[in-house]
Amino acid sequence: MSMSGPRPPPATLQTPGFAHYSVTWSPFHNTRLAVASAANFGLVGNGRLHLASVSANPGGMLALSLDKQFDTQDGLYDAAWSEIHENQIVTASGDGSLKLWDIMLNDHPIRAWQEHTKEVFSVDWSNLKKDTFVSSSWDGTVKIWTPERPRSLMTLNAHHSCVYQALFSPHQPDILATCSTDGTLRIFDLRAPAYASGPNTNSFTNPLSASMLTVPASHTEILSLDWNKYRPFVLASGGVDKLVKVWDCRMVKPGAEPGAVGGSCETQLMGHEYAVRKVQWSPHRGEVIATASYDMSCRVWNTAPPAGQPQLMYINDAHTEFVVGCSWSLYDQGVLASCGWDSRLNVFRV
Amino acid sequence: MERVKRLAAQITGTSGVAALEKKSPDDVVITMAIRSPLCKAKKGGFKDARTDELMLEMFRQSIAHSNIDPSLIGDICVGNVLCTDGVYHARAAALAAGFPETVPVQGINRFCSSGLMAVTTISNQIRAGQIDIGLAVGVESMSQNPDNGGPVLSEEIAAHPAAADCPKPMGWTSENVAEDFNISRDDQDDFAAKSFQKAEKADKAGYFQGEIVPFTVYQTDPATGARKRVIITKDDGIRYGTTKDNLAKIRSAFPQWGKGTTTGGNASQITDGAASVLLMTRRKAEELGLKIIAKHVTTTVAGVPPRVMGIGPVFAIPAALQKSGLTKEDVDLFEINEAFASQAVYCVRELALDARCTGARQIATGLNELERRKGRVLVTSMCIGTGMGAAGVFVREA
Repeated sequence: MSMSGPRPPPATLQTPGFAHYSVTWSPFHNTRLAVASAANFGLVGNGRLHLASVSANPGGMLALSLDKQFDTQDGLYDAAWSEIHENQIVTASGDGSLKLWDIMLNDHPIRAWQEHTKEVFSVDWSNLKKDTFVSSSWDGTVKIWTPERPRSLMTLNAHHSCVYQALFSPHQPDILATCSTDGTLRIFDLRAPAYASGPNTNSFTNPLSASMLTVPASHTEILSLDWNKYRPFVLASGGVDKLVKVWDCRMVKPGAEPGAVGGSCETQLMGHEYAVRKVQWSPHRGEVIATASYDMSCRVWNTAPPAGQPQLMYINDAHTEFVVGCSWSLYDQGVLASCGWDSRLNVFRV
Repeated sequence: MERVKRLAAQITGTSGVAALEKKSPDDVVITMAIRSPLCKAKKGGFKDARTDELMLEMFRQSIAHSNIDPSLIGDICVGNVLCTDGVYHARAAALAAGFPETVPVQGINRFCSSGLMAVTTISNQIRAGQIDIGLAVGVESMSQNPDNGGPVLSEEIAAHPAAADCPKPMGWTSENVAEDFNISRDDQDDFAAKSFQKAEKADKAGYFQGEIVPFTVYQTDPATGARKRVIITKDDGIRYGTTKDNLAKIRSAFPQWGKGTTTGGNASQITDGAASVLLMTRRKAEELGLKIIAKHVTTTVAGVPPRVMGIGPVFAIPAALQKSGLTKEDVDLFEINEAFASQAVYCVRELALDARCTGARQIATGLNELERRKGRVLVTSMCIGTGMGAAGVFVREA
């Protein structure tokens, strides 16, 4: 990886009229991608789930093609591939619904759930409990689901304001992390779904689920988080303060009294000029992280660079609008996808 | 629209109410906000009480209502304008009320905003980590210390036109506002009558009972001269049954200035009273198991021409909103003082507010009213003599 020397342009796929909100690689097929998108920049109108394939031509150049699309009544803000069924994918929608699609079928979802009362902004499929996925919403709740059940399995009243993302731990099946408008990261243990208590809680009108740990991560909104794949209880956060922060939360003791406040900030990555909309750790290198920002760039950083080396490894500035999503290929090391409000999906080698 | 607002907040970094609602252990929070009854100077319940006696009673009530050991208080700040020996009285009254000698006291004076400045000073000390818990108090006895007008200035200073305006009477500034900004007598009487009617309604409905603590003070028997203790429990300046027509009959108070539209009916009364606010970090409040009423977000002050000092809120409020990342629409309750209807009408008009709640009240009133309405954001603001305005932003705890 190097910042010098000419680089081939990224493989690009345009989806006219639909601004992107999220991109994700299939865990089963190393060429398949899904993009959640919305008309009118997601402010009002329809949504569309795009399925695309990446291929390498004989010269090693990457190319993208659109395989299929599914239309929805309201904007789509996120998508997560099933970990058990290679053709299934769940989407999160502005109308509060979740929909499960089978990409071998046409037009209609195979399941739909309507419980959230506001925009659903994230969805994540557990890769440890493979029949379970989690959604997070602007209504402040996080819900746990399984495709077989018509209702959610569990609701966490995680925050009093928007929950922008909820993500299962890659190491422990019952642990998940959330981030919110309220500037905190929280870690929840689903085995202890107790409500918070004490003088400062109002369990009558406004109950809040007890978190194992609350990290006061920023004075502004936290828009994205990710669990480090190699170091349990190390997380990254990104948000309106333009910073990416790496949090060591190993002080969390599963089974201990809930409600702890803590988290120690290991590293800050400075450079984005507007809010950071997405952070994702590399699945191949524990110190490498990709970020997407409203400053129209997608960046790759080394959070623990060798002495004298900069943290910033790579800037992709091929987008002409907000970059809102980025996703590492799970199979091809160093291949990154980015998507944005310019309706353009880019795939490139870092 | 929520989507547009959320996006705008993410891009500009001003995150509006949602961000203000965020709870951090370092937040400066209010766990107690109480006030005395507000009484007419020279005629009302506190007419014979001294400033230091009002301080003493306010301190006693603060200790009684704080639910904490008084020795935990790291500093006391007392806002007072007219009492020349204010800090002597404040320290002595604090000790007499039961604060141990280890609890220090300071005084602060920015005219009408002194109570808010006391809150702000304590809040800043907490924010800076100098203290964990502090008490902010505002006290004024205009019976004992009437406003006898500004001082004589040095000739060199008086040669500066704006400087020369500083010591001039408040009534003159009211007439200047009315004349410069075309606030008619009719508009002023209309506004003042509505304020009286709202105050009457609130008083009858018992809205103020949540914030008023009974005050035990001395009253002098006019026949014998003997001082006896009485308990005052209610505001005595609210004139029931006030209408615009009643007010229209009152003669001009300042016929010599401007159009002479200010009267005893559309200007605020001269008042005796006190208020007290206990502040601490959220961490401390939780540790002590205290109920949190609200969070202090910020206070801003602005300067305006001394000759129209009443317009201060027009500049202080937008600055406070900007500093806290709010828009006007985010605010559930604006509370602007009503020194004179002229100045209050102008502020409400210029800021394009619904005239929902005005009147000379304190933070205790604003937070109490916010609780009653189940609103979240309070902006409380006042004009300040010599040409200033101040505005404080508070978020009620949910």
